Amino acid sequence: MTAAIDAHGLGKRYGASEVLEDVTFTLEAGSRTALLGANGAGKTTLLAVLSTLAAPSRGTASVAGYPVDGASAELRRRIGVLTHSPMLYEALSPLENLRFFARLYGVVDAEARIEELLRALGLWRRREEPTAVLSRGYHQRVAIARALVHRPAVLLLDEPETGLDVEGVALLDELMLRAPGMTVLAATHRVDRIDVWADDRLMLERGRVAVAVGLS
Amino acid sequence: MSASLAVIEKDLRLLWRHRSGWLSAATFAAITVLTYSFAFDLVTDDVRPLLPGVLWVTFLFAGTIACSRTFTDEVEQGTFDALLLAPVPRTALYVGKVIANLVALLAIEVAVLVMGTILFNTTLVTAELLVIVGVGTVGYVCLTTLLATLGSRVRSREVLLPVLALPLLVPLLIAGVRATGVALDVSAPSAPWLLLLAVFAIWSAVGSALLFPLVVER
Repeated sequence: MTAAIDAHGLGKRYGASEVLEDVTFTLEAGSRTALLGANGAGKTTLLAVLSTLAAPSRGTASVAGYPVDGASAELRRRIGVLTHSPMLYEALSPLENLRFFARLYGVVDAEARIEELLRALGLWRRREEPTAVLSRGYHQRVAIARALVHRPAVLLLDEPETGLDVEGVALLDELMLRAPGMTVLAATHRVDRIDVWADDRLMLERGRVAVAVGLS
Repeated sequence: MSASLAVIEKDLRLLWRHRSGWLSAATFAAITVLTYSFAFDLVTDDVRPLLPGVLWVTFLFAGTIACSRTFTDEVEQGTFDALLLAPVPRTALYVGKVIANLVALLAIEVAVLVMGTILFNTTLVTAELLVIVGVGTVGYVCLTTLLATLGSRVRSREVLLPVLALPLLVPLLIAGVRATGVALDVSAPSAPWLLLLAVFAIWSAVGSALLFPLVVER
């Protein structure tokens, strides 16, 4: 199997604070890994580095075969990212948000893809309403659609269950966490759900890998 | 190019729906011009020598209000990260933002020129003056958009933008005021002021476009 995410001695420092230290692991293509750890363990920072939103202070990492420190367009085209913030324009409707991001990612069959996602996430009826009037759970559903609109190969998710009801969590499993063909690295505190979707576990403790189960 | 067009379209749509930022800039511009018109005695005084200063002060501060929120809303909604995650050149995002700001600010400036024409009884909507204002606004918006990006993650960003921008804009203001004076026939063409304005606009556009990717890098 080829490596979808490969990190070697990864470190990240903010001022005097060492947030990540010597993080080394490999995720195979198509694997699903739960990223675990207490608050402040470095999960969000690790996802930020892997998604090119933060540059590593030390070490190297590649995602989908592309180095993160190059932050190339090819790498960004292959990743789908879900963070604490839904990263949506509140004054635009879900449809307009998805059209905008589909244009940025150069999605060829944008209208068909957007309709497919909005229907799958139960948002089709509310596609024209301003995002601002939608509930937190619906925001998260639109954010899921945004992260998937360009059919990424690797998903980097930060607490993806946030705000979702039972139906929303089931959709999250179906479209992201258990979707075939995608590599998933998801930070989560929902340890009760890990067995439902994760093959592997990566636990961080004070910025270092404490436990890696099932990983090479 | 496609990314820039997408950003322009999205920003203009957001400006239209979320009008408070541009409305406050336009309101400020209108009140400023109106206040100056009360201050001058239009019957006995020739107010034309004062108009270049009146116009550029109005453009400068209205523009600062308008451009200050360029990236602030993006940062507050988390969409700034979404833009940075997109597989498009950072410069394309910058060009999109600049053009959206330019369209909105030029609309305010044309309205100010029309209002000034009525209030000061002097024709301000001329081709020459529109070129001067247009070229000056390109230089102004290019630089201010970059500086607004720089301050977008800072808590005191409303103060930071004018503090950073005004010293750098001094050459543009001098050239703009002088060129406007020549166009209104109130001062002699002591230097090629429009050329200077154009050079500033090119320097500001090229320099800011090159610096933008470094400014947004974390």
